[in-house]
Amino acid sequence: MGNSKKKLMQIVILLLIVIVGGYAIVTQVSGSGGKPTEGSKAPGFQLLGLDGKTHTLDEYKGKAIVLNFWGTWCEPCVKEMPALQAQWEKWKDQGVVVVGINAGEDKMAVENFVNNVNVDFPVLLDPDKDSIASYGISPLPTTFFVSKSGRINKIHLGQLDLATLDKQIEELVKS
Amino acid sequence: MLQKVIAFKNTKCECGHQNPVGTVLCESCGKPLDEEEQNSKEVLEMRYDGMARRSQRANPNIIDRIWNFFASVKIAVYMIILTLLGSMLGTIFPQENTFLNIDPSTYYKETYGTWGLIYYKLGLTHTYESWWFILLLVMIGASLVICSLDRVLPLYRALSKQQILKHMQFLTRQRVVYQGKIEGDAEEWVKQAAVPMKKKGYRVHTDGNALLAEKYRFSRWGPYVIHIGLIIFLLAVLARGLPGLKMDQHIAFPEGEIKHIPNTSYYLKNEKFTVEFYSEEDMPEEFRNQGKVLPKLFNTKATLYHCTADCDDPTKEPKLEAVARHDIQVNDPLDYKGLKAYQFDYDLTPVLRSVSPSLVDAKTGKELGKFKLDIKNPQRNYTAGDYSLELKEKYNDFGLDENGRPVTKTPNPNAPAFLFLIKGPNLPASGMQYIYFPKQIDKERFQQDAINEKMNGGTPPLMLDVKGMENVDFSMSTTYLNIRVDKVMPFIWVGAAIVMIGLVLGFYWQHRRIWLRIDDGVLTLGAHTNKNWFGIRREISAILKKMNLDVDEKSLDNGGKHA
Amino acid sequence: MNDLLSISSNMFVVAFFLYCAAFILFAVALMGRRWSNRDPVAHSKKWGKIAFIGSALGFIFHLIFFVTRWIGGGHIPVSNMYEFMSFLSMMVMFAFTVVYLIYRKTLLGLFAVPISIIIMAYAAVFPQEVQPLIPSLQSYWLKIHVTLAAAGESFFAIGFAAGFMYLIRTVDFKSKDKKAKRQQRWVEVVFFSVILVISFIATVFIFRAAGYESVFTQTKVTGQPGAEQTVTQTVSYKLPPIVGPYQSKVVSYEPFLGMTKPLFNAPSWMNGVNAGRKFNTIIWSFITGIILYAVLRLIARKPLGRAASPMMEGIDPDDLDEISYRAIAIGFPVFTLGALIFAMIWAEIAWGTFWSWDPKEVWALICWLFYSAYLHLRLSRGWQGGKSAWLSVIGFLVVMFTLVGVNLVIAGLHSYAGVD
Repeated sequence: MGNSKKKLMQIVILLLIVIVGGYAIVTQVSGSGGKPTEGSKAPGFQLLGLDGKTHTLDEYKGKAIVLNFWGTWCEPCVKEMPALQAQWEKWKDQGVVVVGINAGEDKMAVENFVNNVNVDFPVLLDPDKDSIASYGISPLPTTFFVSKSGRINKIHLGQLDLATLDKQIEELVKS
Repeated sequence: MLQKVIAFKNTKCECGHQNPVGTVLCESCGKPLDEEEQNSKEVLEMRYDGMARRSQRANPNIIDRIWNFFASVKIAVYMIILTLLGSMLGTIFPQENTFLNIDPSTYYKETYGTWGLIYYKLGLTHTYESWWFILLLVMIGASLVICSLDRVLPLYRALSKQQILKHMQFLTRQRVVYQGKIEGDAEEWVKQAAVPMKKKGYRVHTDGNALLAEKYRFSRWGPYVIHIGLIIFLLAVLARGLPGLKMDQHIAFPEGEIKHIPNTSYYLKNEKFTVEFYSEEDMPEEFRNQGKVLPKLFNTKATLYHCTADCDDPTKEPKLEAVARHDIQVNDPLDYKGLKAYQFDYDLTPVLRSVSPSLVDAKTGKELGKFKLDIKNPQRNYTAGDYSLELKEKYNDFGLDENGRPVTKTPNPNAPAFLFLIKGPNLPASGMQYIYFPKQIDKERFQQDAINEKMNGGTPPLMLDVKGMENVDFSMSTTYLNIRVDKVMPFIWVGAAIVMIGLVLGFYWQHRRIWLRIDDGVLTLGAHTNKNWFGIRREISAILKKMNLDVDEKSLDNGGKHA
Repeated sequence: MNDLLSISSNMFVVAFFLYCAAFILFAVALMGRRWSNRDPVAHSKKWGKIAFIGSALGFIFHLIFFVTRWIGGGHIPVSNMYEFMSFLSMMVMFAFTVVYLIYRKTLLGLFAVPISIIIMAYAAVFPQEVQPLIPSLQSYWLKIHVTLAAAGESFFAIGFAAGFMYLIRTVDFKSKDKKAKRQQRWVEVVFFSVILVISFIATVFIFRAAGYESVFTQTKVTGQPGAEQTVTQTVSYKLPPIVGPYQSKVVSYEPFLGMTKPLFNAPSWMNGVNAGRKFNTIIWSFITGIILYAVLRLIARKPLGRAASPMMEGIDPDDLDEISYRAIAIGFPVFTLGALIFAMIWAEIAWGTFWSWDPKEVWALICWLFYSAYLHLRLSRGWQGGKSAWLSVIGFLVVMFTLVGVNLVIAGLHSYAGVD
C-alpha cells in the first residue's frame, strides 16, 4: 500500500469516527426517546372527526395548525376551550386552523361536551390513543403549534390563556 | 522510545533486510536494530514481534497525531478507567429512568436532600445518557478501531513471513532459553527433534541446522476478534438511537378486549389473565408468620391480530387476522416477527363492561322490557317493551363540579352514570328524565333515587334495575404489557458472540514458537509464547527429554517480564 | 423441612469444617518446614498433598450439599444470598482445584481456602430457608447467568489470593524507604479488611447464639405540607444498638454491658428505617475488628504482613505472579459470558431490554472494565509483578463490592430477599 493511500485511509477512518460519534452524541443528548420535540416534524395522524369523516394531518397542509390534545374530564382543558374557540374565529380566515384531539373518550361524551361549550373548530377522536402515543403526550392539555411547513414551532404544556395563545399564533403565522 | 527509534536513521539490518521506521527487531532475522539494544543483555521486547506499528513514523502531522493518540494503549486504558469511574458515579443514586413518573427537579432534593440536589444539578441523574459518557464510549470505539488497524496488519505481516534461521541474539534474549552441547550430526538432530514437537501439535519448519516450531497462531488474533465484536456491539447500540428501529410502550389490556397497539398494524387481545400465589405450605416459616404473599405465576393468554384491510380508516372496522397466540409470562414474552409483548404489571380490579338493565314499573315491580347497555361507546337509543330510551349524557366517573353540575372526573369508568330520556305510555310527552348508576355502590353514594325524584318532581313511575348477575358483564382483570420492537438486537448478539469467540481464542490457547539452531555442536533454543510461560517451559522440557536432554523446567527461565 | 434439605444443611457444616481442617493442614505444610529433623521440601510436599486432599474432600461434601438442596428445594440453589454465597465459596474451591491441577502449587491453598471459608461463613449469616421463586426468577437463563458469573468471579478470587501472596512474598517488610513503607501499610490494610469481614460474621453469630434482640419504631412524615402521611415502621436489631434509627423510639431494649438505650441516633441523611441498623452493624464490625486485629498484633508483636512474610520464603514470586495472572485470564472469558452476555440475554427475556443500567449491571460492567484494564496494562504496558498483584487485589475488592456492597448500599432490580 502506498503512503498516500495509507494516509487517505487514515483520514477516511477518522472522518467516519467523527461522523458516527458526533451523530451518537447529538442524538443521545437531544434525544427525547422518540417523542417529537420543538423543531421536529409533526407526526401524521388519521382520525375520525365528530363530523363523521376521517381527517389527516396532510389535509391541513399549507395552514398553520394549533393542535390541542384534551379530555372532557380535564379541568384546564375545559377552561381553555373558550380561548381556543375565540382564536379560531379570529384567525381561521388567515390560514390558521385549530384542531382538537380528544384523548380516548366516547364519541357521545365528546359530542355532548362540544355542543355544551359551543365549540365549532374541528374535533377529532382518538379512541386508541394512537396520536397521543406518537406525539408523546403525558399531561393534558398539551398544545402543539405546527407551522405551515409541518414543523413543530412550539409545544405548550398546560392551560393556555387568550393572550399567550394569540401571541403564539402570531409567531406561528409569521414563521 | 519512539524518538530513539526515529533518531536511529539506518533501518537496514546487517542481514541485508530493509526495515520500516519504528522497527525494533529486524523483520527478517530478529536482530535488535537499536545500537543500545544490541549491547544489552536484557530479554527482548517481543510485542508485535518487534514490528513497526502503523502509528510509528517520522515527522507526524496532525492526522498522524490524532491517529497516534487513539492507537495508544495507554490512552485506551485511561479511557477504560474514566468510563469505569463515570459508571460508578451513576450508581450513587437511582437514575431517572428507574422511575416511570417523577419530576426529577424536585424528586432528588426531596428524597436525598442536598446531595440529591447536587447530584441532579451535575446531571448525574442521567449519567449514561450524558454527552461525556457517550463521548467516552465513542472514543473507546475509535480506540478499538484504530488500535486494531495499527497492530493487526504489521503483526499479520510479521507472522506470515517468518524466517527460520534467527540471529543468535534473538534466540539468547528470549524469555525461554536453553543452550547446551549435543552429540552427532546437527541436521539429523534437528530432524529428530521435529518428531516430538509434531506430536505436541507444532507445525515444524526446518532449514538445515535451524528449526522453527509454531502452534496455535490463531490465538494471536483473539484480541482483534474481541475488538471487532466490541465494535459491532457498540455500533448496534448506537443504531438503537435511529428512528424507527425501536419501540417501547406500556399498554393496559382489559380481559376480553381487542386493543390496537399504537403505531403498528397489530391488535392484541387479552383472552385471560391469571395470577397464582404460592400456598402456605410452599412458603418458608419465616414468611408464613409475616403473612406475606408471594406470586408464583403471572400469565396472560394473548392473541395477536394483524390488520389486513381498512386499518387506517377510522370510519370502518378494521379486518383482523389472528397471527399468534401465546401464554405471556414473566420470562416468556410473545414474539412475533420482532414484535415482543412482555408481562409487566396487572390489576385485579374488575371493570364493568356492560349491563342489561330492565325497565320496571316502580309501583308493581313488573318488568316492562330489557336492553343491553355498553359502558364504553354506548348506543344513543334503546327500546324496552313499549318504551323508548334516549341516552342524553354519559359520565365515566361521575362527580359534581364546583357549580354543582355533573361532570366526569377521570376518563376511567370508575363510577359510570347514564342520563336517559324515557318516552312511552303513561309518561309526559316531553318524556321522563332518569339517571342510572349501574354499580350498586354508586347508586347509594350519589343517591340515585333522590336525584331522580328531584328531576321528576316526585317518585318516578319507572325505574331501571338489573335482575341477577347474568345481566352484568365484567372484565375481571387488566394486564399491562410492555410492547417492544428492537430491530438491532440480532447485531447486539452477533457482536457479543464474536467477543466471546475472540476471548476463547485469545485466552484458552497460546501462540507458542520455538526457534533452535545448532552451531558447531552447540544447541541454542529460544522460545516465545504470548501467555502461560509455565506451560511452554514444561512443554520444552518434555521435548528435550525425548531428545535425551534432562533440563529442569525452571532453569529454562531467562528472567524478564511475564506477559 | 424435608429430609434432603436437612441432609443438605448437614453437608454444609461438614464441608465447612473440612475446609477449616484443610486450612490448618496447609499452614502445617508451610510453617512446619522449619521444624527440626526434617527435609523442608519433602515436608511441604507431603503435608501440602494431605491438605489438598482435605480440601478436595470438603469440595465433594460441598457438592453434595448443593445437589441435595437442588433436588430438595426443587430449583437450583442460587436464588438468594445464602445460596449464592455458598455457591460462590464452592466455586472458589473449584477454581482453586483447577489452578492446582495446572500448577501443582499446593501452597496457594493457604490463601485460597480461607477465602472460601469466609464466604461460606458469610453465607450462613443469611436466612437459610428454601424460598419459592417469584416469576421473574423462574428462568434457566438466570441460573446459567448466576452460576457462570460466580465461576468467573471465583477465578478472580484465586487471582487475588496469588496476588496477595506475591505481595507478602516480595514487599520488603524491613525496609524503611518511602515506597516500601507505603506498600507495607497497604498490605496491612488488606489484612485488616479481611479481619473486618471475619469479625462481622463472628459478631453476628455470637449475638445470634445469645438470642439478642432490641426493637425500635420509627415514625416518618412524608408528602407535601397539608397532605402529610405518617408511616410507622418497626425495626428489630440483632446486635446491641449503639446507634438507633433516625428519629426513633425504643420499644424494647435488652441491656448490654450496662447500655439501656442507644448512645445516639443515626443522622438525618440516614433516614431509612434500616439505615440505622446497617450503620450499627458497621460500627460493631469495626469495634470487634479492631479488637481482633489488636489481639493478633499482640500475639505476632509486629505488623501482620511482616509476620506472614517468612511463611512465603522459598516460594518463587514469578510463579505466584503467573498464577495470579493465569487465574484472571481463565476467569475473564467466563465472567464475560456469565456476568455480562448471559445477563443480557436473561434481561432481554425477562425485562424486555438487554441493558437497563441497573446498579448491579453497572457494577458487573465496572468489574469487566477493571479487569480489561488490568489485561491491557499487563499485556501491552508491561505491568507485571507488584503492580499487577496490587491490581488483582483491588479487582477482587471491586468484585466483592459488586456482589455484596451493591446489595447492601444500592438497591435495584437485583435486590435479593433476606439481605441483611
